[in-house]
Amino acid sequence: MDSIIKVDGIRKIYKMRKTKEIFVAVDDVSFEVEKGEILGLLGPNGAGKTTTIKTICGLLVPDEGAVTINGFDSVKKRNKALRHISAVLEGNRNLYWRMTVEENLEYFAGNRGMSRKAMKPHIDKLLEQFRLKEKRQELVNKLSRGMQQKLAIAVAMLADTDVILLDEPTLGLDVETGYEVREILRSIAKKEGKTIIISTHDMPVVQDLCERTVIINNGRVIADESVDHLLQLFKTSAYQISLKEPITDEQQEMLKFEFPLHSWKGLDLQVSLEEEQEIYALMDILKRNHTPIETINRTEINFEKVFMQLVKEEAAS
Amino acid sequence: MTTLWNVIRVNTKKEYVEMKRYFANTLSLLLTFYIIFLAMFFGIQVIGDPAEAGANTQFIIVNYIFWYFAMMTLQSIGWTVSDEAMRGTLEQLYMSPMGAWRILLSRLSGMIFIHFLIVILLLFLSMLTTGEWLNLNPAATIPILLLTIASMIGVGFMIAGLSIIFKQISAFLQILQFIIMGLTFVPLSVAPYLIAAPFVKGVDMTRQIMIHNYTLADFSISDYSWLIANAVVYGIIGVSVYLACERYAMKKGLLGHY
Ligand SMILES: Nc1ncnc2c1ncn2[C@@H]1O[C@H](COP(=O)(O)OP(=O)(O)OP(=O)(O)O)[C@@H](O)[C@H]1O
Ligand SMILES: [Mg+2]
Repeated sequence: MDSIIKVDGIRKIYKMRKTKEIFVAVDDVSFEVEKGEILGLLGPNGAGKTTTIKTICGLLVPDEGAVTINGFDSVKKRNKALRHISAVLEGNRNLYWRMTVEENLEYFAGNRGMSRKAMKPHIDKLLEQFRLKEKRQELVNKLSRGMQQKLAIAVAMLADTDVILLDEPTLGLDVETGYEVREILRSIAKKEGKTIIISTHDMPVVQDLCERTVIINNGRVIADESVDHLLQLFKTSAYQISLKEPITDEQQEMLKFEFPLHSWKGLDLQVSLEEEQEIYALMDILKRNHTPIETINRTEINFEKVFMQLVKEEAAS
Repeated sequence: MTTLWNVIRVNTKKEYVEMKRYFANTLSLLLTFYIIFLAMFFGIQVIGDPAEAGANTQFIIVNYIFWYFAMMTLQSIGWTVSDEAMRGTLEQLYMSPMGAWRILLSRLSGMIFIHFLIVILLLFLSMLTTGEWLNLNPAATIPILLLTIASMIGVGFMIAGLSIIFKQISAFLQILQFIIMGLTFVPLSVAPYLIAAPFVKGVDMTRQIMIHNYTLADFSISDYSWLIANAVVYGIIGVSVYLACERYAMKKGLLGHY
């Protein structure tokens, strides 16, 4: 398979200006993205998602490692690499708020060297596709948050590049607009065959759109798996056991020892087991004091849970 | 080449659109300019030697116009860069495969073009108010102006570069007004060493034309050499400083607002 993006062992260190402390934001991150793939770059706050995205864009020079886009080094062959990518880095903050929708589109198109004639059909099509046609002459600061976000994505689409990078495209959107943006992204990916990297901590976005996800935490890759596979992996082992009475301290101690990653929601115990057989060990602990059990369920797994689990495991190890 | 032209076109248009949208702002700036000018003009009438009032007025007009022109352009580029870094649009400019320096060059040309038109308007307004008519002689002033502008663009690039790195550039930009005032008001005959400073030689030669009716033939080879050297050296230094700042900013992650 053809990888269009290769991230190879990048490391980025920030030096705090005032305290002179150094901070490793991204540490030996490697992954590849194939043509036409939608990759979710997932991680908690401060994990290094934005740093990774900006390094791919060539806006940040990595201290170690390199990124190539279609074979072009993102630093040494920056302008060539940039012909293949566009990005929505800060959503609505990537726009000129004191210019109209159309002026923004024209400005950014022109900045990539497009002539007025060449950009016209492009802009018309995007306004149509993003349902911004009636807002054409509207100043950006008069638009709703969701429309601004859509416009920012439209601006990135203008260049018609093979790759689009989106940093937190649904951040700060209400459910409905978040959904609309998701639909737009889906249609772009499916219809236009673009390669897309979405950084987010919005799980439904990943579960819904991405085929594969790279999860980073504390600047390191902790998983690089297809979304389906990840879900499968956790499906066999997630249990929710509802108890009628609380367990004793002694039981709790044992639980902690054998299943360090369990969690409680009231009387509901949530555990994930590495092997099916472990359920017997769990039952042993519970039976010890004849704790009455109400129900045992395989937990409905969704991506959010998988993600939290991975981050927890990483923190525990 | 046509692609670069497109970049210049949209950036000039953007300057124009923003100026139009902030028409009240633009107008009040021009008004302030005019009022300060009037104050200077009447000051000369009151305290100056009446025999030299005419020459002094002409001197003030030329200097003041240049000061305004240089200040507007150089401050604009500084404000623009630091403002856009804060808002989040600067990074988007750096995503253009044209290279950010071309975009900045286009911004600068756009600003210069628009402020130049305004300055001409102000020039006529000042001459009309004072009744002192300068020798405009465009055939002589335009080539000199172009070289002066080249050196101004160099300084503009330096300011753009520094604005990326030092986000709190406003204090510096305030001081810059006075530095530019020094560069445009002090004649070379008073401070000959200023010949090495940006755009001073160009301003001086323009003064000779406008006030003392020089023509291009009246300047010496040495005059032209200084003028050209000034444009080339500041142009090169400016772009190099800018590119160094850009590289530094990409290493340290300073393009955004972090
Ligand atoms: N320019 C910078 N200077 C200093 N530290 C920085 C800079 N940019 C990011 N950091 C730090 O590096 C770490 C990683 O930041 P990054 O923005 O990449 O994380 P993120 O995964 O995008 O987080 P979020 O979900 O909050 O956007 C953070 O702890 C952040 O404080
Ligand atoms: Mg981020």
